[in-house]
Order: sequence, then C-alpha cells, then structure tokens
Amino acid sequence: MKVVTANRLIDGEVVFWKAGQWVERFADAELFTEAEPGEAAVAVGKGQPKVIVEPYLIDVVESGSGLAPVSYRERIRALGPTNEPTHGKQAEGGAAIEALQHASGAARSSGRLDLIRRK
Amino acid sequence: MYLYDALDKEFLADRSAEFRGQVARRLAGELSEDQFKPLRLMNGLYLQLHAYMLRVAIPYGSLNAVQARRLAEIARRYDKGYGHFTTRQNIQFNWIKLADAPDILDQLAEVDLHAIQTSGNCIRNVTADPYAGATAEEVDDPRVWSEVIRQWSTLHPEFSFLPRKFKIAITAAPKDRTAARVHDIGLVARRDRDGTLGFEVIVGGGQGRTPYVGPTIKEHLPAGRLLSYLEAVLRVYNRHGRRDNIYKARIKILVAALGAEEFGRQVEEEWAKIDGARADLPDTELARIRGAFATTPFETLPATSAIFEANKAADPAFARFARNNVKPHKKSGYAVVVVSLKAVGQTPGDATADQLEVVADLAERYSLNDLRVTHAQNLVLPHVKLDDLPVVHAALQKAGLATANIDLASDIIACPGLDYCALANARAIPVAQHIAAKFADADYAEKVGELKIKISGCINACGHHHVAHIGVLGVDKKGEEFYQLSLGGSGAEDASIAQILGPALPADKVAEAVDTLVDKYLSVREGEERFLDTFRRVGMAPFKEAVYADAH
Repeated sequence: MKVVTANRLIDGEVVFWKAGQWVERFADAELFTEAEPGEAAVAVGKGQPKVIVEPYLIDVVESGSGLAPVSYRERIRALGPTNEPTHGKQAEGGAAIEALQHASGAARSSGRLDLIRRK
Repeated sequence: MYLYDALDKEFLADRSAEFRGQVARRLAGELSEDQFKPLRLMNGLYLQLHAYMLRVAIPYGSLNAVQARRLAEIARRYDKGYGHFTTRQNIQFNWIKLADAPDILDQLAEVDLHAIQTSGNCIRNVTADPYAGATAEEVDDPRVWSEVIRQWSTLHPEFSFLPRKFKIAITAAPKDRTAARVHDIGLVARRDRDGTLGFEVIVGGGQGRTPYVGPTIKEHLPAGRLLSYLEAVLRVYNRHGRRDNIYKARIKILVAALGAEEFGRQVEEEWAKIDGARADLPDTELARIRGAFATTPFETLPATSAIFEANKAADPAFARFARNNVKPHKKSGYAVVVVSLKAVGQTPGDATADQLEVVADLAERYSLNDLRVTHAQNLVLPHVKLDDLPVVHAALQKAGLATANIDLASDIIACPGLDYCALANARAIPVAQHIAAKFADADYAEKVGELKIKISGCINACGHHHVAHIGVLGVDKKGEEFYQLSLGGSGAEDASIAQILGPALPADKVAEAVDTLVDKYLSVREGEERFLDTFRRVGMAPFKEAVYADAH
C-alpha cells in the first residue's frame, strides 16, 4: 500500500494526496493499493510546481494500531519532531496521531538514497 | 564589535530585496524549483522535513544585545518560539514559511545580520574562539582576523562556486576551542621569538565520511600576508579539487591525494605569482578593523571579589557554577561566563525566545553588550565582573540557563538529526537527552570530569562525532535507527579522530553503553586523568570488552 506525499511550496508543510487535493493529515491521505494510480498522482503533483515540491510515493502498512508509513523518517514527517511533542501535526492529538506514534517494528529503509543532493 | 557602515547596510537591504523578488517569482511559477533552490540556499533557506529552515550567520559567533533580541523576535513571530545554535556558531530556525523569508531577511538586515554563505559551495561563516578578546591565553584578538576574512570572502567572485563548501576556523590561544584542526583551513595565531604575529596554517582537516586531522602546511605565515596566502590555497583547491564526485570534493581529499608536502609546494608556487600589494590587506584597513575590537571599556578592578567569594561559600549551586561555567579573564576583576544550553532533558543548543531575551539583557547590562556562541552549542557572556557573577547566575537560574555542566558529560553536542533534518538517517536529540539523564546527578558528573560526547544523525558529522571523546553516529540499519559508538577523538589542540568501538547498538542501548564506558573509565583511571587520557593510555580493548561483554 502506498500514499503520495510532498512538501507544500509556500510553507514547507508536509502534505498528502487525497483525490486531487493536498491535505495535511496522514490519516486523510488516499491509499493506493495499485501502483498505477499512485504513480499517476505523483505525475499530477509534478505538474503543480506552484503548489508543492517534490511529490513521491511512500510505503504504508497496517501497524497494529492503524495504518502507518513503513519508514520512521516518514512517520516523523507525518507527526512532527519527537523532541517537541507539541510541535507539528502531532499537536492536535487524537487516535490517528496516537496510532502513528505507537507504530513501530515494521520499519524498513525508505529507499531514499543520495539525500545529500536533496537538501 | 565591528559595526556595518552605510555601504554594508545598503548592500544587505539590496540583497534582501533581490531575494524578495526571487521568492515572488517562485510563488508565481516563473521560477522552477530547480532554478530557485540554489537561490534560496544562497540565502540560507533549506527545505527540511516539516518546514523550511533558515540558517542565520553569526560571524565568528559574536552578537550584541540588539541582535540577540531580534533573533528572539524572529523565533517568536515566525518560528515556534525557539532557535537552534549550531556547531558553526550560527542559529537555525526550524519552522520558517517561504513566504515569510523575505520579511525575516529584512528584519535581520536592520540589525546587521543575514544568511549569506550559510549554504552552498562557498566560504562559510568563519568560526573563532568564543573567548576572543577575553582570554589571557590569546596572542592576538582572533575576531580581527575573522572579520578580515569575512569581508574578503563575502561574495568573493572567484570562490563562490568551489568544488564543495569551505570552512575556516581561527584561534589565537594554545587551548583550541574552535576545532581548528578538523577544518578545511585552521588558523592558529602565534608570535615568534621577536614577537612577530603569524599563523600556523592547517589545511585539509575535516569530518564527514572521510575524517582527517589536517596537516600543517605552513608553520608561521606572517599575519600581514594572510589574504594572499588564503587566495593561493583556495586557488589550488578550486583548480584541482574534484567536481566529479560530491563525496570526494572537499579540500581534505585533494590534500590527502597529493600529500601535505606537495599541496604546500603548489600553494607556495601559486602564492609567488600573487601580487601581495594587491591581494593583502593594507595596514590602514587592518588598523580600521582592529580599532573596532580595541575599544572594550574595561574598568580597573581588584583581582579578587569579596562578593564573589562570599557567594561561593554560601551557595553550593553558585559554587558549582563557578567551578564549571566561569573561566578566567585577561582583565583582573572580570570573568568569562559560559551559559549552558544543555539542561538535562533539553534539546542541545536550543534556546527559547524568552531565554534569548534574558541573555541579551544580561549581555547588555553585565557583559559590555557582548554575547558569543560556541561551537559546542552554548552561549558566552565574555566580560562579566566578578562582583556581578551572583546576580548573573541568579538571572540565568530563573531562566533555566544555569546548568553547571560545561565540558562535562551532559554538555553534549547534537545535530538536529532526523527530528528535523532531511539528510539525517537517525535521530540525535533523543539520544543526547537519554545520555544526559544518566549524568543528571551533578556531583557524579563532576566526579566523571571532562567528557565530550558528540552525536550526529548521519555521516555528514554536523554533530562532530569524529572528534568526540565518546562519539555517537546514527545509522539506518535495515530501516531501524542504530548508533555506532566511537572513542578517543578530540577537536581540541590534541586533535584526533575517534575509533569505532564495535557493532552499532539499537537506540535504547546507547545511554546504557555510555554508562558502561564511564564505569570502566572510573575503575581504571589514574590520578586526574580525563576520559580521553585514560582511553589513550589503556586503549580500546577494556572499553570494548565492557560494552560487548554480554554479547560473548
């Protein structure tokens, strides 16, 4: 299962694709079980340079308490920094946030190599 | 301190206006991200995990109260009320919106601050001894030379597109508080027998994935020839440094490939071609810059203070602070005060807007309007009267800034790591917090003594783990955060690169392992040995055995 994510151009906020819109909550993200529609969403995102920066697909799994990104990097993006629990998306709390915070054990590499070039 | 003239101010205002135009064109879709990215990076604006990050230059780590208050205002208005001081004596704001960045640059420019050359393959913010102008150890004021290099390197047309970034550190004291030997260029000012000022020039040190302690290529460069010699070094690097592989592009790789002797020979050859009269700074200009730092209005005071001594005797917390955070000053009756940003449980190097304002007020009132940032992510009030120390301490205490742990185990350097940084493989901050908690007992921390623990969330080594007594490097091991420990590094005058202890440990075992290492050290140390001294005497084996004993 996959979700499409990016950063919003104007403020850098982490956003997720949902049926043609970019939404802020991971819990609202559209879930792709097939490769093709996910890649199509990425392609649409790449055509929106005034809205978002660098859309890409991430893997998500059922973590026991709900769906969560596989990589801890993406879980931190979906939540906010772990050293400041009141900052970022996690600040609103609730069941979906808690599920993400408790997701663990399913992690594997994000596969995003060569990050030094990305900044 | 050095103050900008009308020309500098006009330049900063223009630069900010230029960036405002670039941002507007990006938001309007007239610039693509690929076109815009180098422009925003030239203004210190990165896109990180959760938002944009703005890295503001603090030249040689020196601020006045007005500047510190402005940083506090920016933290409060445009960030979430805090900033993060870095190992390059800069400050980073983690929650910046692209649309706000031009306004922020305007507000920085109003107080002579900017974000120029805090990114990109250029000469970055020059770092210097945070005790400059205050310590009796120094042979000259390194801020003078830092300012010379700042002016020379700012938007230098020849050196704005180097093979890779370029970092210079300057110290004028035998005790190195700048990590000069692990910089692209480290300059150590010395006087020869007849009193002539010169620099030991160390080139090709560095951290990252190939750490080196830099070799000395010139023992005593006459100070007046500094700029022409730097020009020669940079020119040789710019010509021969590798541009085909980002991981082999730093000057350290070139110096290692050629050998220090051959690199030095090429620099001499290049130097001989340069017209010193054109390239070196005229004496009049040097005198003008020196004048900006020579006017510190010290009072004539007795060497001891009854108030200071009485408070030490009466208040154990103050006595502890005096032992660990108060350093000798060149003027009698004054002291250097180090303000720890490493309270147990805190994010290393973070300061809230309120804390910045407290420190700004203290700097203005008690430290001749002077405030410094250290490469160890702490702050310094460089010129505090001994008589004023108790009241300064009380104000710091009230603001949560009086942790008496400078250079002790809980004074940990940590990069932002995966909590913020797009490059990181693992988190650094929570690991630092776990380790610091083990040394929360101040008596125990003092018993352990000087212990420099440094943590990086990836191989780029912003957290200086290679030059830590105990270094911690976060790695991504099959998708989990693991941490590789290394021992025996030093970024000081006795510089060395730490050696890897053994297989990487899971996150929840790191603090425990540090605890085990310290227990082993305490059991084998002799006399007043620091952890580093003991390690150098007994070697890796006993420490390795202690940590991995269970695995056997």
